[in-house]
Amino acid sequence: MGTWDGILTGFAVALHPSVLIYCVLGVVLGTVIGVLPGIGAMAAISLLLPITFYISPEAALVMLGGVYYGAQYGGAVASILLRLPGTPQSAVTTLDGYPMAQQGRAGVALFASMMSSFVGSVIGIVALVWLSGWLASIATEFGAADYAAMMVLGLVAASTIGSQRPAKAFAMVVLGLILGCVGTDVNSGASRLTFGRTELLDGINLVALAMGLFGVAEVIGNIRDAERKGVPEHVNLRQLIPTREDLRRMTLPTLRGSALGCFFGALPGTGSTISSFLSYATERRIARQPEHFGNGAIEGVAGPEAANNAAAITAFVPTLTLGIPGDPIMALMLGALVIHGIQPGPMMLDAHPDMFWGLVVSFGIGNLLLLILNLPLIGIWVSLLRIPFRWLYPAIIVFVCLGVYSVRGSTFDIAAVAVIGAAGYLLALARFNPALLLLGFVLGPLIETNLRRAMLISRGDPMVFLERPISAFFVAVTVLLILGSLLGVWRRAKKAATPTG
Amino acid sequence: MQRDYHDLWGGAAMTATGAAVALYCLGHYDFGTMRQMGPGFFPVVLGAILAGLGLLIAIPAWFRAGVVAPFAALDAVVVLAAIAIFGFGLTRLGLVTSTASAVLIASLAAPRGGWLWRIILALVITVLTWVIFKQGLQMTIPVWPDF
Repeated sequence: MGTWDGILTGFAVALHPSVLIYCVLGVVLGTVIGVLPGIGAMAAISLLLPITFYISPEAALVMLGGVYYGAQYGGAVASILLRLPGTPQSAVTTLDGYPMAQQGRAGVALFASMMSSFVGSVIGIVALVWLSGWLASIATEFGAADYAAMMVLGLVAASTIGSQRPAKAFAMVVLGLILGCVGTDVNSGASRLTFGRTELLDGINLVALAMGLFGVAEVIGNIRDAERKGVPEHVNLRQLIPTREDLRRMTLPTLRGSALGCFFGALPGTGSTISSFLSYATERRIARQPEHFGNGAIEGVAGPEAANNAAAITAFVPTLTLGIPGDPIMALMLGALVIHGIQPGPMMLDAHPDMFWGLVVSFGIGNLLLLILNLPLIGIWVSLLRIPFRWLYPAIIVFVCLGVYSVRGSTFDIAAVAVIGAAGYLLALARFNPALLLLGFVLGPLIETNLRRAMLISRGDPMVFLERPISAFFVAVTVLLILGSLLGVWRRAKKAATPTG
Repeated sequence: MQRDYHDLWGGAAMTATGAAVALYCLGHYDFGTMRQMGPGFFPVVLGAILAGLGLLIAIPAWFRAGVVAPFAALDAVVVLAAIAIFGFGLTRLGLVTSTASAVLIASLAAPRGGWLWRIILALVITVLTWVIFKQGLQMTIPVWPDF
């Protein structure tokens, strides 16, 4: 199917009232979730997952996608107004967004984040169409060794790129891989690490793990801090209007951020959080006056916001064309598809073109809606920040429990959420990144299956990973990343050892 | 000397977990060969790697000063108790009773005195969950205790 036919099919699917309403619902819900600190897209999508059993697969994916990129728009609001990131992806926006707000330019900062988010998304959509077509055409060449090598690269990239403490990051990935082993081993049928619990035979429930690590752990960590933050000032429409100079300074950072986001979003493992940090670092490095950064530089808002939105869109590339989720949120999306009997992979573009193109067009509609709705509604989003956290978190706890329970009607999973939540809080306290744990958990079983298959085909010869050109390329990049990160650790250690005056 | 206790304990916990997993799986599951990996291969190797990484994290932390972040133990206990009550009560006490009691318990952690707002909050959330999950999504859960 050609691109134009595809887009026409997509409009037919996405504009159908039964899908359009879920698109609107998804983006509005996503914005609300993004604005409110303490709950992110991860918890929201876990909560909505059981609801998707009741609607068509197109509507389900369109809604969950809308929550994901809608949260990217909303996340910037709390970052700019309260220096409290609404979502991890918008943490970097606090660095210059909050100083802008203190200088009375909150409205302009909000405009910059919305506008560059929109541009980033549009560029991301173009990249999604182009990359998916290209990847699907070469993915039929991929063997078990290539899949395994690519996923290992993804995990290594996620724990080394932009990471100050690669050992801690990688420990989280490995812990996630171990948790992914729990349950029945697909190759031999042996039940591993279940300690006799029949509830664990299917493995640890992904929704319980995600909710424990992100919902419960974040609630515990936020109860006291969230109360101390002040209330945001009122922002009206007139304050949103940027000057000509602002627009000029936003343009190039937005485009560069979008390009970075498209690349790192499509790579499994790295995603919108890493893209936004890299975009900020890039802008500061190439700026003529780097001293403006941290004191309200509009470039530091535009670049990262464009990057995280572009990455949120291109994250669908490996998920849809290879069936490999690039981040934990994509794993939940993949789960939603599998529930409906759709197995994403190289064949999906041919087997379910209406699904793929409907999603692409819905991204366009959803982002346009967000841009049109959010600017006039900014007053409402700001007033959401006035809701005290003590009214919200008991509701979050109850919804988390019911959401987990509804997946398979098991109170064992509610108990699991409590245990995982406690562990997650301790991990967060020791500054381990739980997102990497979840990534390892999701990719673990896929890596193990492909690794064992590759070794069986090669008769136990590990050289197979270097003999196949595709996998050799992934192995080479992985080795480079590890060496680069060891060099970084060594340099920092040397710097710390020789005190500079 | 004030050491970096977060990394020290974090690393030690990783080493302990990794070693426990590796030893347990080595004892209980077939390791297999490179050609025909058994169910034990992956967890044993991963457990060993995790134990090693834990040491890499913990040992430098011993020689480094660090700042200890406050530990919200009370908040954690209250939130976990609310979840436990909810999980225990859902099928036994019904949706309404377990939601209201979970909200009341969870609200104990809030740094704000008074009982009226807690009771109103419990009522509002209970009605909301009943409308969304029972009326909207038609979940098969008891609403009231089954006497």
